[in-house]
Amino acid sequence: MIEIKKYICIGCPVGCPLQLEHEKDRIREVTGNECNRGAKYARQEFTDPRRSISTTVQISGALRQRLPVKVSGAIHKDQILEAARKIHELKVMAPVEIGQVLFKDFLGEKGIDVVACRSMKRIAEAMTACRTKKHRRSKAGKPE
Amino acid sequence: MLGRVEKKYGVVVVGGGPAGMGAALGARDCGEEKVLILDREPEAGGILLQCIHSGFGMHYFREELTGPEYAERFLQKVIDHDIDVLPGSYVSGVAVDSGGSKKVRIMSESHGLITVETKSVVLAMGCRERTRGAVRIPGTRPSGILTAGLAQKFVNLKGYLPGKRIAILGSGDIGLIMARRLTLEGCRVEGVFELMPYSNGLTRNVVQCLEDFDIPLHLSTTVAYVHGRDRIEKITVAPVNPDLKPDMSRAWDVPCDTLLISVGLIPENELTQNLGIGLDVVTGGPLVSSTLETSMPGMFACGNVLHVHDLVDYVTREAMLAGRFAGEWSKGVRRPKDNIRLVPGDNVRYCVPHTLSPEREHTIHLRCKAAMKPCKIRVGSLMEKKLRFVFPAEMIMFKIKPDLLDKFHGDTLRIDILPLEKGERVD
Ligand code: SF4
Repeated sequence: MIEIKKYICIGCPVGCPLQLEHEKDRIREVTGNECNRGAKYARQEFTDPRRSISTTVQISGALRQRLPVKVSGAIHKDQILEAARKIHELKVMAPVEIGQVLFKDFLGEKGIDVVACRSMKRIAEAMTACRTKKHRRSKAGKPE
Repeated sequence: MLGRVEKKYGVVVVGGGPAGMGAALGARDCGEEKVLILDREPEAGGILLQCIHSGFGMHYFREELTGPEYAERFLQKVIDHDIDVLPGSYVSGVAVDSGGSKKVRIMSESHGLITVETKSVVLAMGCRERTRGAVRIPGTRPSGILTAGLAQKFVNLKGYLPGKRIAILGSGDIGLIMARRLTLEGCRVEGVFELMPYSNGLTRNVVQCLEDFDIPLHLSTTVAYVHGRDRIEKITVAPVNPDLKPDMSRAWDVPCDTLLISVGLIPENELTQNLGIGLDVVTGGPLVSSTLETSMPGMFACGNVLHVHDLVDYVTREAMLAGRFAGEWSKGVRRPKDNIRLVPGDNVRYCVPHTLSPEREHTIHLRCKAAMKPCKIRVGSLMEKKLRFVFPAEMIMFKIKPDLLDKFHGDTLRIDILPLEKGERVD
């Protein structure tokens, strides 16, 4: 049976509405694209849709409370939420260097790591303590 | 050096975001040795530090970086070039003396009230978000209503969530990105409500931030009422008629504890205005010459304080240019005054810079009023350029060569975006 899957091309702002005709796993044709990039995109989305993700993890001993991190390669679309949950379990201590690997092969896929997106220096203990205190105070004043 | 400040500089840059860092590097590039960057946040980097998603740097670095990565690469360059950076400092005013030298008044967390003397200044304060006040939503005034960018700061820098059940008004890119961000953090995003019949964000963000997570996007719909006493409890949303007024007969309620507002950006020009510098009412930024100099001699502007850009890469390029001219100025170079005025014509919302000189090649930035495809840009009778499409959300850039301007003898050049005539084709 021939089926149709619809996508919107993200290649450029035109945003062509793409239609991909397929018979089970076999792609028959892509229409609606104004250029080649659209066809390529639809094929990729049909066979193996991947996304790169970035989020933050808790960091202590630094100027900020959160450290931005990213996954070093694109992961399968269905794994996004699971990946985010896993990354959030991480807790790191300053100092951290940009590009530092925080969690190797974290989804069991080789070469897909969690890496730091910036450096964060360790700041003096006294300063951290005073910052968290200030932080707590402002939190207490906030209605839930 | 980080945290160092001296008495005299050649160029002082107000703002340490991508525009400020780019301008400082531009000034260094042209040989100016004394450059200072001032930033009110505890560290330089600007809004990039909270934009943890990727999509930055494709033009400048030819690789896709996250915001903090882009910022750190530039900050490293700034430090390597021995540029002084003073975070935690706020510029309260600039006084110009008769000789043209400028005294910048600074309130600094580490140095107290200080004054720094400089020959030229680059304004690089960036932009800020339109607020609820700016869009006037009826209803109560509970807590839990904030701009998308503020929520982004809370989540990505401070580490706390603004709420658990989120509604988003406006489909600007920051709103779309926050929809995904909050979903990844375990919040439930009820929907994005956009007044216009099209999304204001990039298609890429609609697909990857909303569709991937089954978050509904309601076009031609707006928030008609806010309910809740202390904390927001729900909103009433309604589809709008063609006159953009909500049709209350088709309204429905959406329970939520947080409403994010993502309805556009405005250049942050209080300082500029206080200095009496002329502003463009359309861009909200200063009027600038082809050297990105404002109406006050020796005072330059670049980045989102000048006009809101689509990509940080473009900000960097513009800022480096502004920095170069600011550095030249501080070394005493005075270029001939521009003698051609550039004015927006058909389907052109604005163009930057506002004047040109036949002396150099220029890159013109402009935005259209309405989408058109295919079409052509016509610059006076000097040149025509065919385009496959133009969109209001997409900045248009093109170059004008000096030999073309040399042939031009008028003083006003009008730019139009026109549909193609019969028989014309885009190749
Ligand atoms: S198919 Fe080509 S023209 Fe259409 S949206 Fe994709 S990249 Fe743009």
